[in-house]
Amino acid sequence: MKIDSSLPLEYSTEENRLKIFGFWVFLGAEIVLFATLFTVYFTLQTRTGSGPNGAEIFELTPVLWETFLLLTSSFTIGLGVHAMRIGNKKAMMAFFIITLLLGLGFLGIEIDEFITYVDEGATIQTSAFLSALMTLLGTHGAHVTFGFFWGVAILIQVAGRGLNPQTANKAFIFSLYWHFLDVVWIFIFSFVYLKGLIS
Amino acid sequence: MKELFPKQHVMGFGFSLLLTVVALAVVKFDMSFNMAFGILLVTALAQATVQLVLFMHIGESEDKKTLYTTILYSVFVGVVTILGTLFAMIWGYN
Repeated sequence: MKIDSSLPLEYSTEENRLKIFGFWVFLGAEIVLFATLFTVYFTLQTRTGSGPNGAEIFELTPVLWETFLLLTSSFTIGLGVHAMRIGNKKAMMAFFIITLLLGLGFLGIEIDEFITYVDEGATIQTSAFLSALMTLLGTHGAHVTFGFFWGVAILIQVAGRGLNPQTANKAFIFSLYWHFLDVVWIFIFSFVYLKGLIS
Repeated sequence: MKELFPKQHVMGFGFSLLLTVVALAVVKFDMSFNMAFGILLVTALAQATVQLVLFMHIGESEDKKTLYTTILYSVFVGVVTILGTLFAMIWGYN
């Protein structure tokens, strides 16, 4: 294995570089996946049947908290990768832990939001609008949930093996995934919640 | 401590919070739907760019041309899926 020490650990071998490249290709596929879910939502948005519409069930305060938590977690994981590049394992792990806790906070609010909807009689079976909404939000939430466990697994490896080309590569790829989920959330925040509240 | 908070990341974070506040204007102030939609489109795309460039460092590796092509092509497929479906099923054509 040829290690190029002029590059950050996560890029330091040919294999590492290709793994990062491959993950970007996967993110491309994820963009298309979420685009299809947005398509369904926009198409069925007005089909509320006898159920509520978006303006009636969306609440701005929890949504703002979700946005703030996810934006901040995207910032802290960026700091984590930076700490990793300057070889500060302790700071890197601290930032990753903060990131995952913020992710958990996000999930808590989202679960509470879903419970509130169901209490209000807005279930996934109520109308085409709610089916599309909950599929879109649920797919994003499932990604965040998966990301939480993925992040924990990476922290365990970094704690046990230290920062080497393998663990650094995994941690960097995880950071790409986490930033990507934040991008998807920004589009949900803008075109589902804010747009739903004004129309 | 200071070396843990690179300027580029702190600025990116500040910028993304600012964009969120700007997007909020659409629910706080009275404006036409087209105006509101325009603001949301601009702030969301700017947020995505902040993430891709400042946080994900899409342009840092030797593969950057291929990465930009992959992401732009995916966005193109996504936009065609969304607009094409809306065109066929909602807007119609006269």
